[in-house]
Amino acid sequence: MASRPTVSIATAEGKASGASQPLPAVFSAPIRSDVVQQVHVGMAKNKRQPYAVSEKAGEQTSAESWGTGRAVARIPRVSGGGTHRAGQAAFGNQCRSGRMFAPTKVWRKWHQKINLNQKRFATASALAASSVPALLFARGHRVAKVPEVPLVVESKTFGGALTKTKAAIALLQALGAGDDLVKVQKSKKMRAGKGKLRNRRFRQRRGPLVVYNPETDGKELVKAFRNVPGVETSSVFALNLLQLAPGGHVGRFIVWTSSAFEALDQVYGTTTTPSALKKDFLLPSNNVANADLARLINSSEIQSVLRAPKGEARTKRGVVQKKNPLRNKQVMLRLNPYAAAYSKQKLGQQKVDGGKPTRAGDAFNKVLSEE
Amino acid sequence: MAAERTNVSNDLIWQITRNQNAYLVRRNAGGGSQFSRDPLNLVNKQSFKYAGYANNKAVGVQATENGGVAVTTKKPSNPQQPGKNQVTVSYGPNTATRKIYKGVADKTAQHGYRGDLREEAVARVSAIRRSQKSKKDVPARKPRGAKARQAAEKDQE
Repeated sequence: MASRPTVSIATAEGKASGASQPLPAVFSAPIRSDVVQQVHVGMAKNKRQPYAVSEKAGEQTSAESWGTGRAVARIPRVSGGGTHRAGQAAFGNQCRSGRMFAPTKVWRKWHQKINLNQKRFATASALAASSVPALLFARGHRVAKVPEVPLVVESKTFGGALTKTKAAIALLQALGAGDDLVKVQKSKKMRAGKGKLRNRRFRQRRGPLVVYNPETDGKELVKAFRNVPGVETSSVFALNLLQLAPGGHVGRFIVWTSSAFEALDQVYGTTTTPSALKKDFLLPSNNVANADLARLINSSEIQSVLRAPKGEARTKRGVVQKKNPLRNKQVMLRLNPYAAAYSKQKLGQQKVDGGKPTRAGDAFNKVLSEE
Repeated sequence: MAAERTNVSNDLIWQITRNQNAYLVRRNAGGGSQFSRDPLNLVNKQSFKYAGYANNKAVGVQATENGGVAVTTKKPSNPQQPGKNQVTVSYGPNTATRKIYKGVADKTAQHGYRGDLREEAVARVSAIRRSQKSKKDVPARKPRGAKARQAAEKDQE
């Protein structure tokens, strides 16, 4: 790596403070949306609570089959008499008051084991993706007015100084994140289905994620941001893939405090120096040194070993389309060589010669009328 | 993307986002049609060539509220700064359409910007201008036939 790109640090007013930081190595990790998606699926499953129908449901009767010969189906039937229930079919999943098909069990495999290295890979990948404006746009974040991505704000803005939600909103608006907040507010919709009854009444988009360093920024900002719709906060030491790539889609809009941004190299290390905080972790390196396909293809190294394309830019079509010989003379000539002479002599336009027919004559008429 | 970011490129962005992105509109109609809501997409079609967010250089043509046309281009030099990344030229409602064509064609094709988009950009300007024209009123139907004419005259009296 020649010179590491730098990121300028913004003031609380959204202006450049003049200071800058080198881009942490985690942002050059490979962006692997497939790894992120797979890990996200596993992580999302790990919060589930077991549910099942009662083991007894539909099985609380002493029904037995009547066997053959009674002109009814051989399904178990409720014994006894004196009530409507007697003689009704039971147990089967097709029966009224029967058990369900394949009753759900609490011992279903609810949780997924995810390899730690994969989890770390996915987190690094999601972080790298969060520094690409195009991916933020593709995720739906309204970041058109943001001065720079990744967006880093001076830590002195926080550190116990930001305690009020009003100030927190003002900060986000000054940083150009106001459009994203508006998007979240407008997106609030009633959830479809039973989730409404289960404390998930509304659904809304996600806004920016504020990542801070609790050691220098303190924890007051968590309370300041927590009532802003869509905004989430996270400590840089406990970043969660579910927040970095909601829905498994990379490109979350992240607002970094400068000390959290600084801590990233400590948390993730580089591709050669292991992380200080994660045991046995080196950042994954890219499989290709240059991801720009167009540049690779057009490079002299590749172009010089390619053979010239065969054929011409326009290839002649073979026998693919049937042409009408009555309209297309060349096709007609191929089918009927006589057509040339026929048209040259204008046989098609000639009248039948011979003039008027002669009358049949008296002899013919006599024979006809049998005189 | 930026020259210094070796792990990101337009091709990679497209491969990551081609199956789902915020601009993509999918419908079952028309055999599974795919469209794009990207303001920097000249033909509203979901494809790498026209995806404005995924390309360093992109052109967008939109109608403005006052009846004019706004042409947006992306600066390829600073993709990391979305706030400074776009340049918009707006033409007022009274600008001659041919003049807008010229401006748009120059902007897309000159200096090797995106020559492949010139035709689509001009076509979009044309379509927008046509949509901005006020519609002529349909002329009243003339009465046809002697009886109808008489009835119309009576109505007038």
